[in-house]
Parts: sequence; C-alpha cells; structure tokens
Amino acid sequence: MAALIFQELLPFLFILGISPLLVGLINKQKALLSGRRGAPIRQPYYDLFRLSRKETIYASTASFISRLAPVVSFSAILVAGFMLPIGYMRPLLSFSGDIIVFAYLLGLARFFQILGAMDIGSSFEGMGAAREAAFAVFAEPIYFFTIGSLAFVSGYTSLYEVYLSIHLDNPSSLVFIIVSSISAFFLMVTECSRMPIDDPSTHLELTMIHEVMILDNSGIDLFLYQYSSYIKIMIYGIFEVLFFNPFSLQNQWLGFFLFVMLLLLLTTVVAWVETMTARLKIKSIPQYLLFATAIGILNLLIYTFVR
Amino acid sequence: MENVLSILFCLTLLYLVITSRLKTYVSILRAQGVLLSAIMVFPFLHHLSVHILIIPLMSLVIKAIVIPRFINKIIIDLDVHRIVEPSIQPFNFLLLIVASMSTIFVAAHVLSGYTPIEPIPFASAFSAIVTGIFLIIFRKKLIIHVIGFLILENGIFLFGTSVAAEMPTIVELGSMLDVFVVVFLMGIAINKISSTFAKQDVTVLGRLKD
Repeated sequence: MAALIFQELLPFLFILGISPLLVGLINKQKALLSGRRGAPIRQPYYDLFRLSRKETIYASTASFISRLAPVVSFSAILVAGFMLPIGYMRPLLSFSGDIIVFAYLLGLARFFQILGAMDIGSSFEGMGAAREAAFAVFAEPIYFFTIGSLAFVSGYTSLYEVYLSIHLDNPSSLVFIIVSSISAFFLMVTECSRMPIDDPSTHLELTMIHEVMILDNSGIDLFLYQYSSYIKIMIYGIFEVLFFNPFSLQNQWLGFFLFVMLLLLLTTVVAWVETMTARLKIKSIPQYLLFATAIGILNLLIYTFVR
Repeated sequence: MENVLSILFCLTLLYLVITSRLKTYVSILRAQGVLLSAIMVFPFLHHLSVHILIIPLMSLVIKAIVIPRFINKIIIDLDVHRIVEPSIQPFNFLLLIVASMSTIFVAAHVLSGYTPIEPIPFASAFSAIVTGIFLIIFRKKLIIHVIGFLILENGIFLFGTSVAAEMPTIVELGSMLDVFVVVFLMGIAINKISSTFAKQDVTVLGRLKD
C-alpha cells in the first residue's frame, strides 16, 4: 500500500517538486565551471516564492488571452510531464498514441505562450513570438523522427511502452541510443532555450528568444511561466535520460537510483556544454536544428529500410 | 558492431557539412581514420593474426596520424584563414546531403535483396563518397578540396570492406600508398599556388597561366 501511494506521488514530487532544483543545479555547476561562486541551489525556489507574492499587472492593450495564456501553458506542460515514466514507474497517464498527444500538449503550451506574447501589444514580444514559432518549426521534426523511429521499431505508440522496449543488450539498440540521445539533447537545448540556441542569462531584447516573450508579465503570470520553464527542463531531462534505460535492470530500486544519477549527470553535461559553447548566430540556428533532424532521419532510415 | 561504427561514420559526415572551422575538418578526418580501422578489425576479432592487423594498423597510422598532421602543417604554414567560405548555404547543403543519404539508404536496402552486401556499411560508404564529391564542388578553399578527396577515399575504403569480406592485402597497400602520395602532391601544389596567389581559393585559379 505504502509503495503504491509512493508510486502515485512520485510524479508530483519529480515534476512539481524537484524541477526547480534541477535548474538550480545546472546554474550552480555552470557558475562553478566558470570560476564563480554562483547563487545557491535553492535559488529557483526563492525566485518562485518571490514572484508568487507580487502583484500581477496587465498592459492596457491586453485582452483576456493574456490572463488565460499562462494558465493554459502551465497546465498543458504539467499534463505532458505526467506522461513520462519516472524511473521504472508506470506514468500517471499512459495510453497508446500518447507520443503524439505529448508533442501536441507541448505545442499547445507554446501556442498559448506565443498568443499571450502577441496579445500584450509590444513589438519586442511580437518579435520574440515570431522567433519562437520559427524555431519550433525546426524543433518539432526532431521529436517526431526520434520517437517515431523508435515507435516503428518497437511497434508501440505509448511513451512508456516505447521506452520499455529498449534493451541495452541488443547492439542495434546501442546505435539507436547513441543517435537518439544526441538528437534528444539538441531538442532539449532548443525547447528549453538553453545555451547554443538562446542564452537564458542575457537581457538584451534583440537577441533573446524565449525570455523576450515574458518581458511584460509579472506576478503570478510570471510565476507560472517561470515554473513551466523549469518543468520543461525536467520533462526533456527525463526524456533524454530514459534512453539510457534503467528498465532493463531487474531490480526496481537500483533502476530508480540509476535514473536519479543519470539526471544529475545530465545537469553536469548541460552546465558543461553551456560553459564551453557560445550562443549561435540566429542565422545559423536553423542549420543546427536541421542537423539534429538529419540525425533523426538517419535513425528512421536505419530502422525502417535496413533491418 | 560494424553497423554501429558505420552509423557513427555517417554522423561524422553530417557534422562535416554544418561545421565551419578548418580545425574541425581535420579532427573529423582523424575520427574517421580511427572508425575505419576499427571497422576493419571487428570481423576478425575471433582469429586475430599479424597478417590481418597490418592493414588496419597502417590505415590507423596514415589516416589518423600522418595525414591530419600533414594537413595541420599546411594550414599553419600557409596561414589559411580558419573559417570556411562555402559557395552554398549550409542549410541547403545539409538538405542536399540528407536527401542523397536517404536515396542511398533506400537503394542499399533494395540492392541488399539481390546481392550479398551489408546494407548499413555499404550505404555509409556511398554517402561518404557523395559527401566528398559535394564538398569538392561546394567549397572554395583548396585545402578543403584535399579533405573532400580524403573523405571520398575513406568512403571507397569502407566500400571495400562492405562488399568483400577481405580485400587482397596488396590492393589495399597500393591504395594506401596512392592516398599518401596524392595528399603529399596536393600539399606541394597548394604550397606552390600560395607563392603565386595570396588567396588559396578556387576563384583565383581562373587566372592561372604559364
């Protein structure tokens, strides 16, 4: 009974509870790698707490969309998060065909964020919205080619079952893991607006992509946007980590432990990549994303034509 | 296992297309040399002998150490500008390569039904040949033409291992010597050209006269 309750509570703990910690870890390691002391790991929690107590102000041109957008985007991302298995557990939501629902829930979140940005009526936000939409066009094929080829191979269309079907002892799965984890990493970097695509720490409107869209939000709206961006990093982190599949381990607790360790390792990798690379020119982002798509296409080619 | 390595080989080809630094080109050549020698050793892991190891070891030394070093030396000697100037948008180039790679993989799948080839190494080898040719067509710098030729040659090498289980040693030795000599000659030629023209670019070669 206790194990069952734990299993039900675990997704809430991971998606809602630990996701700010993950960002805190990334930022801390990034600071350490570049020789600074950095903010404490709990800083994202403090930020969220501060935002939750502030007053929400709306622009005079804003309509009801501005009030709706943060809530819709937050809840869509939250539901998408509940579709991913945490460690070895069966996720809260799992049905055949949920790989498509997952993608479109994230798409819905992005759509409402873009709408909300345009609704405010500032030209900067419009520019950011245009960029977000343009890069999303290149990012979505990465997801579909990566997970789609795995769905082809395994014959399942549910994220949980697709991940279950990966076995580390099969050498052709090894190719898949290498190739998919590269493109999933690209996807994570793009969707979470991390370093080579977007610099989360700049505050220059002309170069930002994601951050510029939430410039005019305040209080609880900004809280929801900020929180959903933390959850997004968690979601894509889990998405990436699950390729190095702990399911094949027979011991569940060992599998769970491995899962957590891999997540921690991922924060180090992200921090390291962010320290090592500079932001790409906006002009060269499409080719960077097409590279990841090309990897996905290669994956699909191997598994559908040559088997 | 050869399949895994061949896919990694394909990934290096894709990376080659979008990168814009000469240094990365050289390190990709080095990585491909290591991958190729590993691909050659793997089928014979159970019954290793000196006779089998000669060619992989030679290719490792020549492709992964000697040639990259030589190219690096040329780059430093001639003080070539480090950024590659393509004559095509990298985005379009990548699209072109992905399209041709898809065609090649489908063709390899069809062919594997009729002839005894291993489809993944075969398709990777063919992709390398095509990528090498496209590199020669779409890049302006002469040094990259040399690298494009080497990529093409790597493709032919992989082709040999995918079509026949074991190529005659003497043929492989001959081809290795060929590559070495060609790179050597190209290095000398680029050196000579650079003493005539300040810019090592195909655009200036139209003015080449006696």
